[in-house]
Parts: sequence; structure tokens; C-alpha cells
Amino acid sequence: MDFSLSAEQEMVRSTAHSLFEGQCPAGLLQAAWDDKRAAAPLWDEHLYQWVELAGADLVDLVLFMGEHGRAAAPGVFFASLQAAQLAAPTGLVAAGSATVAVAGENGLWIPHDGNARHHVPSAGDADEILWVAGSLAAPTMALVPTASATLTEVDQLDRLRPMYTVELPGPPRGIPVDPTAFAHAVDRALVTTAAELIGTGRWLLETSVEYACEREQFGQPIGSFQGLQWMLVDAALLLERADASVAYAAMCVDADDSDRDRAVHVAKAEAGLAARSVARTAMQVHAGTGYTFEHGLHFRLRRAYAGDAFMGPSGYHLDRLGQLLFSG
Amino acid sequence: MKLARSADDEAFRKRLAEFLEEHCPPEARLSNDFIASSEAGDDGVVSIPDWARKWQACLFDHGWMIPGYPPELGGCNATPSQTLVYFEEMTGRGIPRSLHFVGYAIAGPSLLEFGSDEQRRLAPAAIRGDTIWCAGMSEPGAGSDLASLSTRAERQGDEYVVNGQKVWTSYAMLASKCLCYVRTEPDAPRHKGISALIIDMDTPGLEVRPLRDISGHAEFAEVFFTDVRVPAANLLGELNHGWQITIGALAHERSGLWVEGVAICQRSIDDIVAMARRRGLGDDPVIRRRVAELYARVRGLRALGYKGFASFAQGGSAPEHSLMKVATSELQQELVELALDLQGASLAVTDPERSEEGGRWQRSFIKVLAATIGGGTSEVQRNVIAQRVLGLPRGS
Repeated sequence: MDFSLSAEQEMVRSTAHSLFEGQCPAGLLQAAWDDKRAAAPLWDEHLYQWVELAGADLVDLVLFMGEHGRAAAPGVFFASLQAAQLAAPTGLVAAGSATVAVAGENGLWIPHDGNARHHVPSAGDADEILWVAGSLAAPTMALVPTASATLTEVDQLDRLRPMYTVELPGPPRGIPVDPTAFAHAVDRALVTTAAELIGTGRWLLETSVEYACEREQFGQPIGSFQGLQWMLVDAALLLERADASVAYAAMCVDADDSDRDRAVHVAKAEAGLAARSVARTAMQVHAGTGYTFEHGLHFRLRRAYAGDAFMGPSGYHLDRLGQLLFSG
Repeated sequence: MKLARSADDEAFRKRLAEFLEEHCPPEARLSNDFIASSEAGDDGVVSIPDWARKWQACLFDHGWMIPGYPPELGGCNATPSQTLVYFEEMTGRGIPRSLHFVGYAIAGPSLLEFGSDEQRRLAPAAIRGDTIWCAGMSEPGAGSDLASLSTRAERQGDEYVVNGQKVWTSYAMLASKCLCYVRTEPDAPRHKGISALIIDMDTPGLEVRPLRDISGHAEFAEVFFTDVRVPAANLLGELNHGWQITIGALAHERSGLWVEGVAICQRSIDDIVAMARRRGLGDDPVIRRRVAELYARVRGLRALGYKGFASFAQGGSAPEHSLMKVATSELQQELVELALDLQGASLAVTDPERSEEGGRWQRSFIKVLAATIGGGTSEVQRNVIAQRVLGLPRGS
């Protein structure tokens, strides 16, 4: 397997990096925390056109999502992208922004009937909702206007990505989806979520290393203390391992490799565990500075935990791996 | 980024598989232990079994000893990615190249890189295993802090006179030659007063005392030097430039050395799953979760190794690989801990009749404790990663 990036892939990454650096500065996160409407221009003027990455190779999308996660970008892009990816096998295309209503209370993307869906990201900002029903063996999908649904916002650690419970008065007429194509689309969604976690972790680690080099106590940079160095080394190890796992899973999904199932669960579990752990290390390294609201470190810390929970936390994916190991 | 390998690499893999099928002796196949075992006599002192000597020579003669080298040095001019294939195939089957690594992994490559014409002529025998080498590095006062070594060599006429002591010197009792690091300039800064000498082990004044490790075997030894006279022509590289030699060995293989650690971990996972089933623990959610956690780490490290290889093959540095030694050695230890836990009250039983797999995990437990010590402790590795990979400042 070859992890080297092509020139086009380097281009995707650097374009995404400058896009978020320019359009999603720290001030936007603060503003969107206070009023989610502040994130609207990021979608309206820039990110809407990137939803077409839903049809791209996953190895390319992973690079874009890494930068999205690094910026802890607020707004409806994440939900719209996930909706577009999941709907791809049906040909359903949202006209504007969209979100995905599939999960039950356990957060897992297992299709089921009933009038309520949980953990629906950014529903309040989405024009349409991709409503998934049926079962894993016979999933169905429909695009419904958000205005036809009842939304209840459920307060989250990560206020930059609000979550909703969504209810419909009655079941919409859904299009049947090939179950294999559905499983494939869910794998893409998992790797996309994992890739965002890696980017968030990357920001946390790099910012912590920089801070440890600058901040002086006892007459020297705190980064020269061995206790702190080892914490950062362990954080780097977790993150690099998870980063490689995510890239590998993306390659497996693109190639429809027989290792795909295991690779995807490894990627989501590793990314969730790494992002959470790196976030705690980052907080400890920044200490009082990081615990101060204005610093903004907490936005990434919150995203790390929210991202781990999305589509099932790391523990769930480890248990799936356990099943594959012991019954395979 | 892509999964598929080139047709050239696959052809290389097939050639290697055919060679192994035809030539690999049964003793070298599927060694379950974490480190391939040499034989030990009643006194615990190890020896290199006959099959292992023949196997190493066979690998050399067919160009499969160090594939990246040309045929006269036991290789077949393999590309970096073919070398990676080589590691995958060998370690995936649990086949060791050699039971004594110093000659082919340290002495041979160092002679080739730093040696005079005459010294370079010693390399093929070192790599083929015809000459057994030891490396005189650690001393009682210089372990992790190797640069503080104090065994000294003074120039007298055409000779260096060596006095001092080495310790934990692998295979010293079997070796006929020693690549020995000595202090030649006591007043220079620590790293700048060290030189490398090639010392014949039968030189008068040199005494080897085998030293048993906690497995009960003596694989390493103490080496004492009392007025040992070494010809000045045996200086390897430039005077006082020995430190570069300690870090230069086998650079072209370092990008693939992690494969073995990952393969060992992967085999352990498979064996642990089988043991858990055998012991009726296959449905225990706590056991499953622990196995899955370690499995995810093995898979993550495997991906990280390949990622580092990609940047290495493109000529870049590969910080990933400095993380791999720490990570795989610590993971090996955790896997053995889990394997012991699965054995309940029998976890400490070594009686081959009354323990799982003939006491294999108990032996592994003892052996793998060395993995986070030898070749640089995990603590020193973390210091190095902090400063060279993350760029954190040195303490004052």
C-alpha cells in the first residue's frame, strides 16, 4: 500500500487549508458559539460548492475533512456532506443544505421505522432532511423539507455543531436502497467523521507543541520538562497511528477491499480515542490558559468528544471489531 | 494513496516465496516466540545451532540475506519497496534471517560505509555469518548515556592500547571480532572523542565473562580489556569520529524494521483469540474489548509503518519510524500481559505439561521485557522523539 499523496491530492489539502485559514478564523468560532447564524456566510459563500466531494474518492475527501476538523468549522457543511454521501446510491440530491435523519437514541446509523430520529446534526440550518427508514436489509430514503418536521435542539458539549431530535407527522414515501450500497455509504460517513477528528487532533497537538516552546516557567520553556515532553510524545503517537488508520480505511473503501469492514471500525475507534486523548493532553499542557474561554482550545476539545460520539463512540466500534475477531 | 502493489513487487514476492518453499529448514519456520531462540548449554551459554548457520549462508548465497545489497554482499539489488515485501514475507512466516544480528545488521554495514578497502573485505563474512561479531558499546557507567563511555584507547606507536570494560555485549563469547567504541580523546566534548576499533577477540588481555540474563541464558557477556594491543590499521573511520558510526548502521533497512514488530503483534493477537476461545472466554465482553483495543493498535501501527515508508521512499525523513520502536515494543508487552491474564491462576505456571502452549507465553513474558530496554530504552526514545520529531527544547 502506498500512502504518498499525488500532486492533485496535495492540491486538495492545501486549497482546503487556505480556505479554512482565511474563512474560518478563531473569531468566527466565538461568534458562532454565541449565535449560530454567524456561521451562515461560511456555508453560503464558500462551503456549499465543496459538497460535490461527496462523489469524490474517499482518499481526497479525507484530506479536505482533515482541514475542516483542524478549523473546528461550524455550520451546516458537515451535515450536508453526510446527507449527499448517504443519498448518493439513490440519486436524491438536495437543492440547498441538508442533514441526515437516520440514528436512533444510540446514535448508530441503523435504519428503522418510527417517527423520531436522534442525533441529527445542524437540522436547524438545513433546508432538507434525508429521512432514512426500513432496516439494514431493506433501507429506504426520502428527502423532506425541514419545514415539514418538528425539530427539538438537544444541548451539546459542541455548540458549534448543534444536534436535534427530528420528528415527522407520518412516514414519507421512501425510495428503496440497495443494502450493499447503503453499507458502503455508511462506511464513507464513518471515515469522513474519523478524518475530521484527526484534523481536530492535529490542531490540538501542534498548538500544544508551540505553546510548550513559548511558555516559560521556572526560567525555561515548559516544553523542556521531561514530564511534559513524554505527554506530548504519547499524544503524537496516538494521533499518528489514528491518522494512518484513517488513510488506510479510505484506501480500502475506495478499492472495495476485503479488509474494508475491519479497517473502517479501526479508523473510527482509533480516531475517536486519539482525538479525545490529545484534547485532554492539550488542555493539561495549556493549563490555565487553555481553561480560559477566549483561548478557543475548548472548541476543539468539544469537537473531539462530539466527533467520537457521532455514529457510535469508539467503544462501540471496538466491540464490533471484537465480534469480527471472535466470530470471523 | 492506493492499496495495490506494483506487478514488479508481486513478482519479487513470488520469487521469494518459491525460494523459501524450497530452502527454508523446518527449524526456521513459524517460530512462535518473540525472539528466535538460540540453543543453550548446561551452563546457560548460548550457541548458534548448525541449521541457523547453514540457513544464513544459504540466504546470503541466494541473494536473500540483505536484499537491498548487491549479490556479492548477499543481496539482489532490491528496491526499497521490494525490501518491504521481503520483511512482510519473512516476518509473516516467522522466519528469522540469523540468530546473531550484530554481524549483518551492525558490523557489516558499518565496515562497508566507513571502512578502508581492507576492512571492507571483512563485510561479506560478517553478513554471511561466517564470522561472528559483537559490538562493544554499553559499559557499566554508560547505558542509555552511551556517549559517556570511558573504555580508553591510547596510541603507542603503531598500536592502540585499550583498557576498560564493556557489558551486556551480545554474543561476545561466540564472537571472533568486536566492533568496539573507545575514548581516544579524553579532553574533547563527549561525542567528539570517541573512535571505533576492530578488535580480534583472541587478543591477549581481552577477557570475556558470560553474563546470564533473567531467562537463565547467557546471550550477552562482560568484556574486560587490560592493555589490549590493537593495530592502528584497525581504526574504523576517522579518529574521534566514531559517534557517526553508532548511528549509521543499516539506514536502508531501518525503514522496514518495524514490519517484524507488527508481524509479531499480529501473530500474538491471532493466538490470543484462539486461546480465549479454547479457555471458554470467547464470549466474555471484557476480554473481547481488551483484545479489540490491542488489535486496533496493531492495525494502526501497521498503517503508520507503511505511511512512514511512503515518505522514506520519496526521499523524505520518516518521523513515523522513530515512533514505531517505542510503540511496537510496548504493545508486545501488553499483549503478553493479556495472554497471561487469560490463563487465570495458571499465569505463573511454567511447567510445560501444565501451562498453555508449553509455557510459551511465560517465556515470552521474560524475553519481551528486554524489548523496551535493548537498543535504547523507551524513555530515551521518548526524549529523542520529543526533541527531534516534535521540536521541543532540551532541558537546561
